[in-house]
Amino acid sequence: MEWLSKVLLSTLLLLSVHTVGAQDEPIVILNETDTIRPTKYIAPLTEKPKLALFQGFTLSADILGPIIYLFSDYGSTEAALRLNLKNTYFPIIEVGYGKCKSTDVETNISYSTSAPFFRAGIDFNILKNKYMDNRLYVGARFGLSSFKFDMSGPNMTDPIWGGSSPYSYHDAKSTSSWMEFVFGVQVKIWRNFHMGWSVRYKQELHIGQPSYAKPYYIPGYGTTTDTSCWGGTYNLIFDLNWGKRKVKSGE
Amino acid sequence: MKRLFGILSVLALVACSSNNCPLENIVTCNYHFYDREGVAIKYGDTFTVTTLLPGTKTVYIYRKLGYTTVTVDRPDTAYTNAGYTETIATARRDTVLINKASNRSYVQVPMSYYNKADTLVFAYSSISRRDTIIVQHDAYPHVELPECGTHFYHNLRSIRATDAAIDHVEIVNPLVNNEKKENVKIYFNGVVE
Repeated sequence: MEWLSKVLLSTLLLLSVHTVGAQDEPIVILNETDTIRPTKYIAPLTEKPKLALFQGFTLSADILGPIIYLFSDYGSTEAALRLNLKNTYFPIIEVGYGKCKSTDVETNISYSTSAPFFRAGIDFNILKNKYMDNRLYVGARFGLSSFKFDMSGPNMTDPIWGGSSPYSYHDAKSTSSWMEFVFGVQVKIWRNFHMGWSVRYKQELHIGQPSYAKPYYIPGYGTTTDTSCWGGTYNLIFDLNWGKRKVKSGE
Repeated sequence: MKRLFGILSVLALVACSSNNCPLENIVTCNYHFYDREGVAIKYGDTFTVTTLLPGTKTVYIYRKLGYTTVTVDRPDTAYTNAGYTETIATARRDTVLINKASNRSYVQVPMSYYNKADTLVFAYSSISRRDTIIVQHDAYPHVELPECGTHFYHNLRSIRATDAAIDHVEIVNPLVNNEKKENVKIYFNGVVE
């Protein structure tokens, strides 16, 4: 009996010693396959405020077309109104007036037209940072022009059977359409004033033509020497902040 | 920046202007040859194509019994010295469009600007008879590009032919322009074996 009481007392003492030790230093049992991993650092959240859908309108005018007209037979002047959605999507309407008056030095065939044109499309800001005032964009346009043209040339003489008649047509009607693929840049100059340029690849969709002539120049498109052509604009741009909200309300 | 400069250089090169007129900037009606069954052939006989022109001309006809009658535009004393009888007559003016062609699968023939119908005369070396093809058409002027000049395009309305060597003729593409498409099929007598 005395022996049993000694064993119980010593066992209780051992347990009490281990319990005191566990409060100072935890016991960690590592398997051989375990590895120690570094703790991942999670930065505090700094979320930018969400942009409102409507970011205002942009008004722009092209100055390259009139300059080209000073040094060539054709040119155009145009203005555009662009809607800014989230600084990302830019539906756009372009309206302009094209003019051409040319005479080929070899064939002596003259062509003249002057008429308005219309384009509608959308640009997409491809910069990752949508909060910047500078923009790099790609876009597409559908162009349309309904116009009249004059074309005349030397008399046409039949070299075999004989006979001759003048080649002269006035107010020939044409309605033509085309597509444009746009790449452009826009840089903030001062406050709401921006400047930028665009390069455009244009593809004919439909060229309305009478039997006696294909229109040589289509206002807004350019010359029809091929079924596609390149064009460009250099724009003066002004942001109109009508009703613009930078950040979504309530956020 | 280098990449942007490269792209702009390519764009500048592409934007260079060039003459876009077709190399063969001539409008012709294209007659392709077939046998009676419709098999494309090369016509082996030598042939000349002439067309009638507006107006008349004086011709000299030399005849001799047992010899082929000869018609020429100018008097020729060689025939009278050889015993031919000379007759002066009036005939339609004509001109040669294709001279002594042979082994051809097609011919390209110009069309008149201001006539409603063209008359083509096919003369063969191996047979004495000739074929006449009359093609009616509407002609209209056209300018594709000012740098390419003016042309007359045509719409073929109808065609008919005699039957010396030709079986029949058929319009397959009525629009005659400078695209060089086949416009008329001429089916000759006989079948290729």
